[in-house]
Amino acid sequence: MSDPDHRHGEGYGWEDGSPERLYVITGGRSGSLESAPLDLVTLIVARSAPAPGMQPEHAAIMRMCQAPLSVAEISAYLSLPVSVVTVLVGDLLTDGDVLARAPVARAELPDLALIEAVIDGLQKL
Amino acid sequence: MVREGSSPGGSGPASPVIWALPAVVIAAGTAVAVALVSGPARTPVAWLGAGAFVAVALACGAAARRGRELARLRVTVAEQRTALARQEAETVRLADTLLPDVVRRLREGEFPEDVLASLEAHDAHGPGLTPEFRAAHLAVLRSVLDAVVAEEDLRESAQRAFVNIARRVQAIVHQQAQELRDMEDRHGQSPSVFGDLLRLDHGTALIGRLADSIAVLGGARPGRQWNRAVPLYSVLRGAMSRIIDYQRVELHSVSEVAVVGPAVEPLIHALAELLDNATRYSPPRTRVHLTAVDVNAGIAIEIEDGGVSMSEEARNRAERMLRQAQQGIDLNDLGETPRLGLAVVGRLSQAYDFQVSLRSSAYGGVRAVLVVPQDLITTTSAATGIAHGIGTSSGPRGALTPAAGDTGGATGGATTGVTGPSRPATGPSGPDAPAVTERTPSGLPQRRRKTRVTAPASAAAPAVPPAPDGAAGPAGASTTTRTAATEPEPAPHVQPGMWLAAFQSGLSGDSRTGADQNSDASPVPASKGEQP
Repeated sequence: MSDPDHRHGEGYGWEDGSPERLYVITGGRSGSLESAPLDLVTLIVARSAPAPGMQPEHAAIMRMCQAPLSVAEISAYLSLPVSVVTVLVGDLLTDGDVLARAPVARAELPDLALIEAVIDGLQKL
Repeated sequence: MVREGSSPGGSGPASPVIWALPAVVIAAGTAVAVALVSGPARTPVAWLGAGAFVAVALACGAAARRGRELARLRVTVAEQRTALARQEAETVRLADTLLPDVVRRLREGEFPEDVLASLEAHDAHGPGLTPEFRAAHLAVLRSVLDAVVAEEDLRESAQRAFVNIARRVQAIVHQQAQELRDMEDRHGQSPSVFGDLLRLDHGTALIGRLADSIAVLGGARPGRQWNRAVPLYSVLRGAMSRIIDYQRVELHSVSEVAVVGPAVEPLIHALAELLDNATRYSPPRTRVHLTAVDVNAGIAIEIEDGGVSMSEEARNRAERMLRQAQQGIDLNDLGETPRLGLAVVGRLSQAYDFQVSLRSSAYGGVRAVLVVPQDLITTTSAATGIAHGIGTSSGPRGALTPAAGDTGGATGGATTGVTGPSRPATGPSGPDAPAVTERTPSGLPQRRRKTRVTAPASAAAPAVPPAPDGAAGPAGASTTTRTAATEPEPAPHVQPGMWLAAFQSGLSGDSRTGADQNSDASPVPASKGEQP
């Protein structure tokens, strides 16, 4: 509901929007190196509530990740690009404030085998 | 003229008598001598006496006439001397007060015609001055006025040209910044492109600041205008985003207030210039500390660097520059100004009542303090969008409505209120959840969700009975009552357990109600949970 609002704010940024740019939020990092383990569908869970002195974005991620959320969802809620979220989550991960859960892919692996088995079985018919 | 006539009239009765006296004496002497001398000598004596009388009378008459003339001359000389003195005073007044006053009033933007008219009115009751003299003075004033006006016009048109160019640059920069932001959103998933975009964005912001500086020095507003209050935190980061070495700036505690819309851009710009000075004149490895605290007069924003200390003389020079800029700056002087930034800061602080002071810092560097007056400060609740994206984040998290209420002022201090009670509660639940997932893959790898849901329920009964488990326990029994109970108040810390419980109910068959309640509480996590 407030998403469209925000979009408008960004669109008519001459008088609305936010004065800060993305590079300040990430401290100039583009999320290329150390954030390798993170994926769009990696689930993030906060280990605790946000600490007082946190950067607002960190605090927001902590707050919304009380229930597991994927990186892509965090990105959508914060309306920040994925790379920014990756950097922010990377910070939180190194501080141990959040946990990253492996994406669902691993759980689906047996499915693939099963499907192959089914296909094989079907072909044998 | 009138007085010249009257003054001889005053001395008139005395002088003829005095000047007639010698002739009368001679006449009397002659008469006595004629009476005393013997007969034969009487005639010559009478003749001599008559001659002497005539001579003395003539001399006396001439003397009397000259005396009168002299008196008249004295009077005119005195008159002229006073007139001269008055003219001199008038000339001195012209040089000392009138001309500076006229120039000042013109600089302040009064119309030259008005200024001249008021001068004429003022001059009218300066008495004893000839019309020619007054006309000459006015002519002098007028020519000076013309010269000043011409100069002001020139300056103004130069400034307008500056501002005009600056505005165009600002427009381009702004458009580019917007496009960059769009591109950043679009290419957010490829870090290399994103990194390049960030660098471009940064460069664009630097250009924008330069254009803003030119506009400010040209006497205009800095540029963008904000029609709503912006949180101070965003303002500070906005200032950081406009300097080269923003990574060296460390943002410390920020009091949780917002800056009213009209003052946002000037404040950002002034702070950016101060930050730029701080980073530029300190060693590249040192940090620059940025804090904002409440003071009686408003909000004091401190910028402290660990650079070279400022000598007393340098400090005086800098403060003088600030003061000069506050009095209005001449574009021609800027060439000699080594630190353009201070001129801009001075200009802005004059226009918006910021108080800026530079002191040497305890770290050895410079400590700049900018005090924002109270009337430019408002509460954060007035500012809709909190720091970047945070405002929106709190929107969809309407899931956590009570929490969102608490953290409405999301930036800093409000979070403390939330963390106090909620942290101990969520602390145990955090470790609980991962333990569950680690158990799951061994048993049922595919149904992660289900196992995770069942796991806390199983763990709840024997092992730990804290709050979330208590919530999860009745979950199996009656979903509706529990959700109704949890929905109003303890959302932040019960929420995870809530969520799992709803899942459990959903999986156990009562999918409709569980999903609905969840979507009430937290729409997207619920849908998300179902997808995998």
